[in-house]
Amino acid sequence: MPVFKSLLLALAALASASAAAQVPEREPLTVVAVPPLPTPKNVETDGGATGVIGIQIAQQIATDLRSSASFLAIAPEKLRQYSPTEAGAPIYPNWADTGAGALVTGYVQARDDGRLTVACYLYDLKERREMTRKGFVVAATDWRRAAHNCADAFYSRVTGVPGHFDTRVAYVAETGPTSARVKRLAVMDLDGSGHRYLGQGEVTVLSPQFSPDGSRIAYMSFTGGTPHIRVHDLDSKKDRPLLPAVAMSFSPAFSPDGRWIAFSMAGEGNSDIYVIRADGGFPRRLTTAPGADTAPSFSPDGDKIVFESDRSGSQQLYVMDADGSNQRRISFGAAAYGTPAWSPRGDLIAFTRMGGSVMQIGVMSSSGRGERVITTGWQDEGPSWAPNGRFLLFQRKARGVGLSAIYTVPITGGEPRRLTTPQPASDPSWSGASE
Amino acid sequence: MMRAMLMILGLAMASAAEAQRRPPPPPIAPHMMSLPVLEADLRAKAGSNIVQFERDSYVLTPQAQLILDRQAAWLLANPWVRASIEGHADTRQTRDYALALAERRAAAARNFLLARGVPLQQLAIVSWGRERPVVEAAHEATWLQNSRVVTVLKQ
Repeated sequence: MPVFKSLLLALAALASASAAAQVPEREPLTVVAVPPLPTPKNVETDGGATGVIGIQIAQQIATDLRSSASFLAIAPEKLRQYSPTEAGAPIYPNWADTGAGALVTGYVQARDDGRLTVACYLYDLKERREMTRKGFVVAATDWRRAAHNCADAFYSRVTGVPGHFDTRVAYVAETGPTSARVKRLAVMDLDGSGHRYLGQGEVTVLSPQFSPDGSRIAYMSFTGGTPHIRVHDLDSKKDRPLLPAVAMSFSPAFSPDGRWIAFSMAGEGNSDIYVIRADGGFPRRLTTAPGADTAPSFSPDGDKIVFESDRSGSQQLYVMDADGSNQRRISFGAAAYGTPAWSPRGDLIAFTRMGGSVMQIGVMSSSGRGERVITTGWQDEGPSWAPNGRFLLFQRKARGVGLSAIYTVPITGGEPRRLTTPQPASDPSWSGASE
Repeated sequence: MMRAMLMILGLAMASAAEAQRRPPPPPIAPHMMSLPVLEADLRAKAGSNIVQFERDSYVLTPQAQLILDRQAAWLLANPWVRASIEGHADTRQTRDYALALAERRAAAARNFLLARGVPLQQLAIVSWGRERPVVEAAHEATWLQNSRVVTVLKQ
C-alpha cells in the first residue's frame, strides 16, 4: 500500500507546508480520474437508463472519494468516454494527459431479471496495473449503493483503512420555533438518500444511537412526562422502553457486541451511569459520585467506558472498567470536556471541548494525551465516529442562530462538510459498516 | 362581508354578556379556576413562577429562595393544586450534561419547597435539559435566562 501511495501525486504536502505541520497526520492526496461508466447496451430500467446510471455512478464515486479528503477526483464530465471492453483493459496512453495517478473504470449492464450488473476497477496509471476490482448485482434502483461500495473498495485499497461511504446516519430532525421545537428521529444514508422519519414528532426525542449491527436505535424520549430511553427496532418498527420509567434515564450507548446499553439515570439531583442488558432486565449501577455522571461510551473491546463527570467541579472526562472499577480522570486541559466517544479503532477519544467561550470538537489518546482540537466553530458538539475511525460526525450551530446542522470532518483536520438533511439536524449517530 | 357581520354580532353579544356580569361575581372556589388564572395568581403572589441560576450551578440564590418561599406559601394555601417543578439548562451546555444539571436544579427547588412544608404528593420534578430555551442568544447574559426552574401548575 505505501508503495502505491508514494507513486501517486502527493499534492497536499506541496500545497501548504505550514498546514501540514499543524496537522501531521494529513494524508497525501491521490488524484483519480473517474470517467463515466459505459454500458454495452442502453436499457431502460426501474432505476433509469443504464447509460445515465453509468454517469451517475461515476459522479457518486467521485463525490465519495472527494469527501474523504484523501482524493482529488477529476469529475466524469471532464473526461473522455471509453468502451465497456476497455473497462477491464485500459489503454493507458489515453489517460496520460489527465494528470491523474489513478483511474476508475467499470460498466453498467442490465440483466434479464431487471437488476443491474455493476463492475468497477481501480488502476495505477504510473505502474500501469490493476489495483482492485469489485462487481455487484443490485436492484436497478440501488445503483447508488454499488457506487458507494466501489468507492469504499478504492478508499480502502489506497489508504489501508476500510471505507465508510456505504453507511447510514441516525439523527434528530428539528422543526418549529426554539421555544417549542419538534424533534423526531430520522435515518438516512450518509449521502442523504433513503431518508425516512421514525415517528411523527409528537414528542421530543434526543440522542439516537445505532446498535453495532445497525438493526436497532436506542434514544431518549420525553413521551409520558418522564424522559426515558427507548429502543426502536428498524425492521419490525417495534418501539419499547428500555426500563420502567420510574426515573429519568438518558444518554444511551450500546456495547460493541450490542448486548448491553450503558446509560445515565437521574434521581434527587444526582445522575449516575448504569448498565443494563439491551433486551431489558435489571440495571447495574457503575458510578456513585454525587453530581452529573453521564455520556458513557464503550471502548471497542467492551472492557472500558469513557464518560463525563462534574465531580471535580467542572465537566471532565473519566475512564473506568466496564464493571465500574478503576475510575480515573483523563482530561486535564484548561477547559471543560463533555460527550466523549471512543474510536472504533480504540486509539482515540473524541469529545466536545468548552473553553474560551466556544465549543469545539477534539480528539485525545485513550489515556488523555495528545489533545488536539479539529474544528473551529462557535458551537460544535456531539462527535460520533465513522466505523473506520478516520472521520467524525458532529453537530454545528452558528452564533446567534438556533438551527443546527450535521457535518463530517476527517480527524486529521480540514474543512468540515455539511450533510444534506431536509430540516435542521442534531445528535448524529454513525452506523457501523454495512457489510 | 359575512365574516365582518358575524364579528360585529359576536362583539355585541360579548358586551351584552359583560353588562350582565357587571355586578361583582360571587367568589369562585380556587379549585374551579382554570390553570392560567391560577398561574397568574401564583405569579402575582410569589413574584414569579420562575427562578434563575448561575451557569453550571444548581445553588438557589437569595433571590430564588425569596421567590420559592412565596411559592411554598401559595402551594400550602392551594393544596388541591399540584405543581411540576421543571428544570432547564442553557443552550451552551452539552446535551446530556444539560439533562443532568436541569434535573439537579429541579430537585434543589423541589427540596426547598418540601423543607417549607409543601407535601411531597403535591410536587413532581421534570428535567427539560436544554430542549425548551426561552431565548436562543449569542451572548452569555441572555442565554443564562435559560438556566431556570419553572413551577408549572397541574390539576
